[in-house]
Amino acid sequence: MTIKARFLRITHIFFAILMLIQLLPNKSSKEVCTSSLIAFAIAAEAVVIICSFLIKKKESLLLTLDIFGFIYVFLTAWTLATAKFDLLNDLLFPPPGKVIAQFAEDKTVILTNIKSSVGIIVQGFLLAAVTAIPLGLLIGLNARLGNAASYLTKFFSSIPPIVYIPYGIALLPTFRSVSIFVIFLASFWPIFAGTMSGVLNVDKKIIDSAKVLNVKKPAMLTSIILPASLSQIFLGCNQGLSVSFILLTSAEMIGARDGMGYYVKYYSDFGDYTRTITGLLVIGIVVIAVTFLFNIFRQYLLRWKG
Amino acid sequence: MNTSKIEIKNLTVDYIEKKKSFTALKNVSFPVNEGEFVSIIGASGCGKSTLLSVLEGINKPAEGEVLIDGERVNGTGSNRSVVFQHYSLFPWMTTRKNVAFGIQQVRKELSRTQRLQIADEFLDKVGLSEFKNKYPSRLSGGMQQRAAIARALAMDTEILLMDEPFSALDAKNRIALQELLLKLWEGENSENKKTVVFVTHDIDEAIFLSDKIVVLTSHPGTVYDIVEVPFERPRNREKLIERKDYAALRSKLLSMFYHDIADRIGGNEVVI
Ligand SMILES: Nc1ncnc2c1ncn2[C@@H]1O[C@H](COP(=O)(O)OP(=O)(O)OP(=O)(O)O)[C@@H](O)[C@H]1O
Ligand SMILES: [Mg+2]
Repeated sequence: MTIKARFLRITHIFFAILMLIQLLPNKSSKEVCTSSLIAFAIAAEAVVIICSFLIKKKESLLLTLDIFGFIYVFLTAWTLATAKFDLLNDLLFPPPGKVIAQFAEDKTVILTNIKSSVGIIVQGFLLAAVTAIPLGLLIGLNARLGNAASYLTKFFSSIPPIVYIPYGIALLPTFRSVSIFVIFLASFWPIFAGTMSGVLNVDKKIIDSAKVLNVKKPAMLTSIILPASLSQIFLGCNQGLSVSFILLTSAEMIGARDGMGYYVKYYSDFGDYTRTITGLLVIGIVVIAVTFLFNIFRQYLLRWKG
Repeated sequence: MNTSKIEIKNLTVDYIEKKKSFTALKNVSFPVNEGEFVSIIGASGCGKSTLLSVLEGINKPAEGEVLIDGERVNGTGSNRSVVFQHYSLFPWMTTRKNVAFGIQQVRKELSRTQRLQIADEFLDKVGLSEFKNKYPSRLSGGMQQRAAIARALAMDTEILLMDEPFSALDAKNRIALQELLLKLWEGENSENKKTVVFVTHDIDEAIFLSDKIVVLTSHPGTVYDIVEVPFERPRNREKLIERKDYAALRSKLLSMFYHDIADRIGGNEVVI
């Protein structure tokens, strides 16, 4: 891409519009924190410019620019509807600057909450992965056993994991352990099912090739069956991960003392919708970030795929 | 001294599909001597791959048996290496790793560096040096086939079972690999030649390479004839083609081929 093509993009015009509308007088009687929004937008634009330098592939660059373009347009519309023209109820719809300022103010609390939520997910999910994958491999290896197990799995995974929560509370001492337990259960079944279906569906040609090479049982599992089932395993993992987030935030809204679900629930009970919206956006960002990292890991392990 | 390395005795192989049994091979018998290069030819679908799968040990016969060194084949073994018709490399291993992995299974005594060294050597022989760090999905069909051949040859086993290994190659590579195969088959001294069973549908290839050609007929696959190839080695491709006895042998094999097909055209099923 030429320099011109890299830097002369419509995204920058959207950025300029977002900046220009800040000059309009505020109509809202409440505090609107224009400076926070401007700071945020400038930071975003800095990221855009750095990306324009760094990202080599045309498609990826355009994608990044388009996403930021959407963000600018969205912020513009949001600012106009709230701070500038006061079209919406300002208790329920705080202007974007205020949400950003709120985030800056609650930074440490939010970070602690994120750490708590992500920590629980990682623990429950990893526990599920390290048990479900080996078990799925071993059971899937035996076609008859695997067949029976896949029916049982269908039964267990049809129980919405959220209904385990009350029972978990009876079984376990702390909210944290209950959450880990429930996330473990919720991710275990999809990962286990994915692994088994991966093993049961390994191409017969692959197995035959391994057999004629005289690959012994342990190496057969680790060097052949595991990599051959990897895409299916990851399908199960993805499913487990997305269920985990839904589950944890729901659980946190029911009975936690920290975590992002708790933050949202707590402040909406007090009618503090600025913090509620801040919490929602933070949860979105966290989920996207975790999924993104997980996908990078997946793509690395599956880099051999055609 | 010629002793039977592989003894194929009254082999019948059935495939069972939807409760229906289909006889792919019927009553096939022939010996393969130690150090012998035997080709199997026959029309598509006559059971060549099926025969090989029994020698490989991944398919069990309904009747009869295969003996290797006098022992009944009952599964795969580290005395055999295989090139499948569908070359089957492991897609998650680079070309180099694929070859090294094959070597590792039969020659446990070698270190990792030694294995990789041998792998590189063989990839070089089949002309894939530049592609050794690529995954199979990034190779063309012919390149994958050459990698699979490199793996089988690098394993350096007593017996080589090859199912149309050169079918996806261009003329130049095909000739180069035929020469390479012959060189490796003969080994350093003629004492410990490898035993090769080689499936092909190319009659010229079969004549150039083999000591003996087994012609199969189809539906069910049976041995139509076993033809000795008398030409002394080393064989010179150009000179061979000009010889009268070569032409005679070639037309004899061709007529056996056509005989099989003509039989079927005469019937109510046409397969070309
Ligand atoms: N797995 C299988 N299940 C059922 N039938 C099979 C199976 N494999 C092969 N057959 C049948 O057995 C017969 C012989 O097949 P085989 O693959 O051995 O032929 P081939 O001589 O190797 O043919 P080609 O030259 O096309 O590779 C065919 O009629 C085929 O339909
Ligand atoms: Mg075949």
